[in-house]
Amino acid sequence: MPPSSPPSPSRSGLEAAFLENRDKLLHFLRARGAGDSAEDIVQEVWLKISRSSPGPVASPLSYLFRTADLLMIDRFRSARQSGTRERDWTDANADDAGASPEPSAERRLAAAQEAGRVLSLLESLGPRVSAIFRSHRIDGMAQKQIAAAFGISVSTVESDLRIAYRALAQWKERSDEA
Amino acid sequence: MSEDDKIRAEALDWAVRAGDPAFEDWEGFTRWLDENPAHAAAYDRIAASVLDGTELIAAAPANDDGGEAPVPTGAAPRRSARPWIGGALAASLALVAGLWMWQAGSRDLYRIETAPGQVRTVVLDAQTRVDLAGGTAMAFDRKDPRFARLESGQALFTVRHDEARPFRVTVGKDTLVDVGTVFDVRSQSGDLSVAVSEGAVQFNPEAQDLRIAPGEILQRRGRSGDYTLGKIAPEQVGEWRGGRVTFQDTALGAVAADLARATGVDYRVAPGSAERQVSGSLLVAPLRKDPAALGPLLGVEVRAERPDGAEPRWVIGVR
Repeated sequence: MPPSSPPSPSRSGLEAAFLENRDKLLHFLRARGAGDSAEDIVQEVWLKISRSSPGPVASPLSYLFRTADLLMIDRFRSARQSGTRERDWTDANADDAGASPEPSAERRLAAAQEAGRVLSLLESLGPRVSAIFRSHRIDGMAQKQIAAAFGISVSTVESDLRIAYRALAQWKERSDEA
Repeated sequence: MSEDDKIRAEALDWAVRAGDPAFEDWEGFTRWLDENPAHAAAYDRIAASVLDGTELIAAAPANDDGGEAPVPTGAAPRRSARPWIGGALAASLALVAGLWMWQAGSRDLYRIETAPGQVRTVVLDAQTRVDLAGGTAMAFDRKDPRFARLESGQALFTVRHDEARPFRVTVGKDTLVDVGTVFDVRSQSGDLSVAVSEGAVQFNPEAQDLRIAPGEILQRRGRSGDYTLGKIAPEQVGEWRGGRVTFQDTALGAVAADLARATGVDYRVAPGSAERQVSGSLLVAPLRKDPAALGPLLGVEVRAERPDGAEPRWVIGVR
């Protein structure tokens, strides 16, 4: 068995899971609000899994759904961002969506200041909430691992994350209104 | 509770649950979304806000006073704590990394990855540096400059020896400890090789406790294969930094993977040819311009495949 000859077993496992569950993914995407683009996004999921080799995937089905879900979140984010840009069109040099690889110094500074606000917002929720949020979202620890590491129950981890997520949703609403 | 509040609370719950790398209940999630189109919209607002916030603070340097962060050129970058969810495809890798961090307890790891064809140097102190070959993923510790972890790919370590604080490299379950050293480590699909050009490396001090001397190369096929200790010309160790790769009775499968990492060219091995062994020494740069030039150099057949409009793949096979 050649260990390095493509396609790897995990990859073909992922492709097989895709072919088997294509309809479920389509259904999920329509329910997720994709509408007429659902077919296109399913195609995008396929391109993602067939172009990259993600390494061994423990649960191929979950991996496919997660990829589809993240594509939808990304669509929402870029739609929201371009909406915001149209409203406050102050920057005459504003580029087309994502065209500039090097953000200007002002934009970097603004991002740093906004990051500072988010950090203090998280800290204001208490040290445990902010530590759990970081472990989960930035370090990628699963909720079960966090529960074990902090010596608390998974439902406490969930409830701390809900507090952080709610605060972030409100932060975003406020900054969109501003 | 108003209808809107109820939807918002449920969406919050699903965002927390679906955001967990271990989440499996996609069918239940789909059923909830099916109930009302407003559900997807409420979920999007929360999930997108969480990602926005996460990316902002992950990009911000830690322990910063909010001013503009100077970016040291050529040194180990600090903007490494990438949100795991930033790329959908990073999810499974990040899960592994997360598990590792939990096990390591106090480690404060950051990852550095190179794209195929890209070479990068990480400076850990004035006399300790790590050169990452193309297509390599590594983790370092912000709090411990005497530690590195090779997740996949290849790296050349040039390490200042310190009796009191030996430099440790982990590769999967294996540990390497330097004894004053220049050494090269390669890990690909479970295959491992450690080649030493100066000093020595102690391999798995808690298990095999094998000393690898200059001019020696330790190799293992697969995760549980047998170890062999062979000879290598010391000048050949880390020669990839100079843009050269040498194969000695190497299986074509490994050759294709090595060349793909070194050049960024999409080399693959033809079905049935992976085990065929070849030898040869070649410069990497000309292959970037002309991938087919590999054929006469190694005595193999190289064929271009162009799957509808995508970048060509170069399939290496036995003649």
